[in-house]
Amino acid sequence: MPKIPTEQLKPGMKLARPLQNSSGMVLMAEGTELTEARITKIENMGVESVYIDGPSRPARPREELLAALEERFRKAGASPPMALIKKAVRAHIEAMYE
Amino acid sequence: MNSMDPKALRSRVENISTIPTIPSVLKQLSTIIENPKISLNEISHFVSQDPALTTKILQMVNSALYGFPGRISSVNHAVMLLGLNVVKGLLLSVSVFEIMHKAMIGLREHSIGVAIASKVLARMKGLKEPEEVFVAGLLHDVGKVILTLSWPEEYDRTVKEAESSGIAIFDAERSRFSETHAAVAGWLAEKWHFPRKLCECIANHHRPQTSSLAPLETAIVHMADVLVKARGLGYSGDRLVPDVNAKAWETLALSEADLREILKELEDSVEQTEEEFRA
Repeated sequence: MPKIPTEQLKPGMKLARPLQNSSGMVLMAEGTELTEARITKIENMGVESVYIDGPSRPARPREELLAALEERFRKAGASPPMALIKKAVRAHIEAMYE
Repeated sequence: MNSMDPKALRSRVENISTIPTIPSVLKQLSTIIENPKISLNEISHFVSQDPALTTKILQMVNSALYGFPGRISSVNHAVMLLGLNVVKGLLLSVSVFEIMHKAMIGLREHSIGVAIASKVLARMKGLKEPEEVFVAGLLHDVGKVILTLSWPEEYDRTVKEAESSGIAIFDAERSRFSETHAAVAGWLAEKWHFPRKLCECIANHHRPQTSSLAPLETAIVHMADVLVKARGLGYSGDRLVPDVNAKAWETLALSEADLREILKELEDSVEQTEEEFRA
């Protein structure tokens, strides 16, 4: 779910989160498909960026994230639960780059 | 500094209104929430005097996390839907979060992550009130904020000590303060008249096996804390993943697929929720 700056919005993109005003009232529902008119409306509201459907990639390279994972687990025990947790997090991180 | 007398520590923590470094909004809120007979109207009145607080609370409850996106227009309405305890918890969280960010960079992100993971776990395990577990997650580390505001230099040294000797922050706290942030937060939760289950969850999140009233909820917050640290979201005083407690792990009986699902929901919600708190 990437966050796209308003100036890069294109018709056909879908909102991944509802667009809300400052007191939380929904202005456009989740799943709304953007049109030129809606993009103009978003620009006029002064919104800087919105969440759009689709995968978002981490800003840092995969190797860096995986090395940090090893570092965090360096004192963790070798019990089966800890091994499973580590495996799940590793798979989760790798999936972000697919 | 030698280890502190636990009684002196507790009495200082319970009188946070006398600690000069605690911001006044938190002191006021604490005084209001301490009153066990606090009514819906009094809470609403207090919140409505502070437009920024009102906005933050409404943003939070209107977020996708609560399942009422955009439909809650007043604090009264929020209390009716979410219950007084959840609104009390959210009020404390939004006020604490501003301080949290200054007290320990990354603690806010960590707390939001634990709250979200707790809520996902609570839903997975079919708990009736996942919002209360969410609040326990939000507030589980509030003791770190109180410790660092009350004893800034000592706490700073504690963090450095944990970092340099590669020990967990709660072990470093115990040797310096005689108690941990979990106990400190538990005392405050009691003082604020949170439900006993919620207090237990907060106080025992590092030793879930000792929880008698809320073993499942405590196991959830404990597991959420481990998972958020494993994923490396935010910062909570050390950069080490603590071992999951064997009994808590057994209670929750999670598969790899369950863990992946929690991580996925965590990733999707954290960024957005963080913005709502910051706004």
